[in-house]
Amino acid sequence: MVVFPPTTPAELIALILRVITSHTFITIIIFPGFIHLTLVVIFLTWYERKLLARIQLRIGPLYAGGPGGILQPLADGVKLIFKEVMIPYKASKPLFLGIPLMMVFLSALPFAVIPFGQHWVIANIDVGLVFVFAMTSLFPSMILIFAWASNSKYPFLGGLRSLFQQVAYEIPMWISTLSVVLLAGSLNLVDIVKAQEKMWFIVPAFLSFIVFFIAIMAELERLPFDLPEAEPELVAGWYTEASGAIFMLIFMGLYMKLYLMSSLVTVLFLGGWWGPAFLPQPVWFIIKTLIVATFIIIPRGVYPRIRVDMLIKTGWTRLLIIALANIFLTILLINSGLLAAWGI
Amino acid sequence: MALNPWLAIIIWAIIIIVLTGPMLTLPMFWSRMKPDPFRDMPFESGQVPQGEARHRLVMQYYPYLLMFVVFDVVGMFLFAWGISFTRLPLNASAFVILFIVLLGAPLGYALKLALNKENW
Amino acid sequence: MVSLVIPSDISFVVLTAVTIIGAIMALQAKELIYGAIALAISFIGIAGFFALLDAPYLAMLQIAIYVGAVVVLILFTIMLVRRERGEEMDKRTDAAEGSMGLWLAGLLALAISGVVALAGTSLPTQAPAASLPVSDLGPALTLQYPVPLIILALLLSAALLGALVLAKVER
Repeated sequence: MVVFPPTTPAELIALILRVITSHTFITIIIFPGFIHLTLVVIFLTWYERKLLARIQLRIGPLYAGGPGGILQPLADGVKLIFKEVMIPYKASKPLFLGIPLMMVFLSALPFAVIPFGQHWVIANIDVGLVFVFAMTSLFPSMILIFAWASNSKYPFLGGLRSLFQQVAYEIPMWISTLSVVLLAGSLNLVDIVKAQEKMWFIVPAFLSFIVFFIAIMAELERLPFDLPEAEPELVAGWYTEASGAIFMLIFMGLYMKLYLMSSLVTVLFLGGWWGPAFLPQPVWFIIKTLIVATFIIIPRGVYPRIRVDMLIKTGWTRLLIIALANIFLTILLINSGLLAAWGI
Repeated sequence: MALNPWLAIIIWAIIIIVLTGPMLTLPMFWSRMKPDPFRDMPFESGQVPQGEARHRLVMQYYPYLLMFVVFDVVGMFLFAWGISFTRLPLNASAFVILFIVLLGAPLGYALKLALNKENW
Repeated sequence: MVSLVIPSDISFVVLTAVTIIGAIMALQAKELIYGAIALAISFIGIAGFFALLDAPYLAMLQIAIYVGAVVVLILFTIMLVRRERGEEMDKRTDAAEGSMGLWLAGLLALAISGVVALAGTSLPTQAPAASLPVSDLGPALTLQYPVPLIILALLLSAALLGALVLAKVER
């Protein structure tokens, strides 16, 4: 019997036990909450380095404890925390220190609405998809502010290029998910996944899957859309002057965004948690998300870089027109009744 | 414990800040943060930085920012319609299709203006 | 469809404080960039008000459009202004009186809203409006207000082309 406020130690223990085993606590702290998020992000940094190494016929992290250097991200984190944080001359100190924390906050916040299983979601709100898009639309402004705050030319140029690139691919990203919203009839991410029980949306909305995939690769600044951080040209782009703990926060924010976008692809196009019943639902979700993350990481080792003005032009002309035409195609597809067998 | 989802989001936001905040504040205790005018000079591949750091701006992509604001609003209206598309009769959705088509010609002209580099 | 049952007096006062203090800082900031960031915080406070009023879609719309696009445009425009001009704007003669007036007005607004919020149910109120689900927006836009929708398309096109034509360099 749980009594609030607790008067005896036994009641306090009962209250604590009740809170710890409650569904809310487990989803917020453990899975898909904070612990799972940090573990997967740490795993993704190691995974990317190993994968790129194998593509480039190298070995990658090997010695940092365990088989295949699995503790390498931990070693990197410890090193970065103890490094000195150098603030550039006449840089704006509160912005320089505060913006990376905001980036991690904004990358981690949309995970509250992404459903990892039928009941494994922190907050099941009715406008889930628009919530994720609203949070990701705050990124370009933060990159611009951080690039301005490091009082230096390389970051400023890189920040401007990054701003224009992310802004250019934001609209095709939104409009291509409109097909999914048309097919599912709801913005609630749990309902979108539930509507894919019989057929994953990648089949009727294949063109929007392609547009969305390209757009998120540009949003994440991954090769071949890498010019804001082109190493031969801009050293490291908008985070050139970040060092130590600041760099670690930005790095974590970038990999959290990678995981966020991959899980968004899984939710919108690959059927979320649906899979044969021999594995639990969240496991299917994580498997699909890691496959998507692999396909996002692989082009980094394969393709050359695209020039930034061709990049921005392509985003605004070809991708936007394909996304808009795709809306009409989806409307035709829904009205032709071909999808009636699968309940759309 | 059926919790209001917005309250869950607020709790999640607080937990993120509380648990990642130490990553920013703890290094201020145990790592050196002494300003040094030579080390803190902005990085320019070894040479001494010259000129104002923030004075050059690329105006070539400015029209895309203006287009972004407008198409942001368009996207939001399309999301509002898209939810109830399958439940509406087709002649109601025809208005939204007309909405998109009416924006097509201005989009084309805006792109023509934006791609012409001498305009900016 | 879940109605928002967060204790509305605490969240109302917090959101009011964020919005008003953000707006005052936006006017008072010495560096324009800090002012733009304070403006963004103020917009986020307004989005919180929309969420509190049972309009979550409008809250997301506010964040995505205002904080995501308009603030970026403002920041970019601020960076166009050279630094020398920014330093000259500091030498205002009646700066102290202007800022005192702003702070007093802000504190007064905060105090009134705090009293209203904490007075709770002892104020004369109307019955709250029914909360609309998001799926009501589509039928409303197309069945009830089709003509404003088309006018909106023309308005957006006019805004877009007008901004571009005005901003381009005349040769």
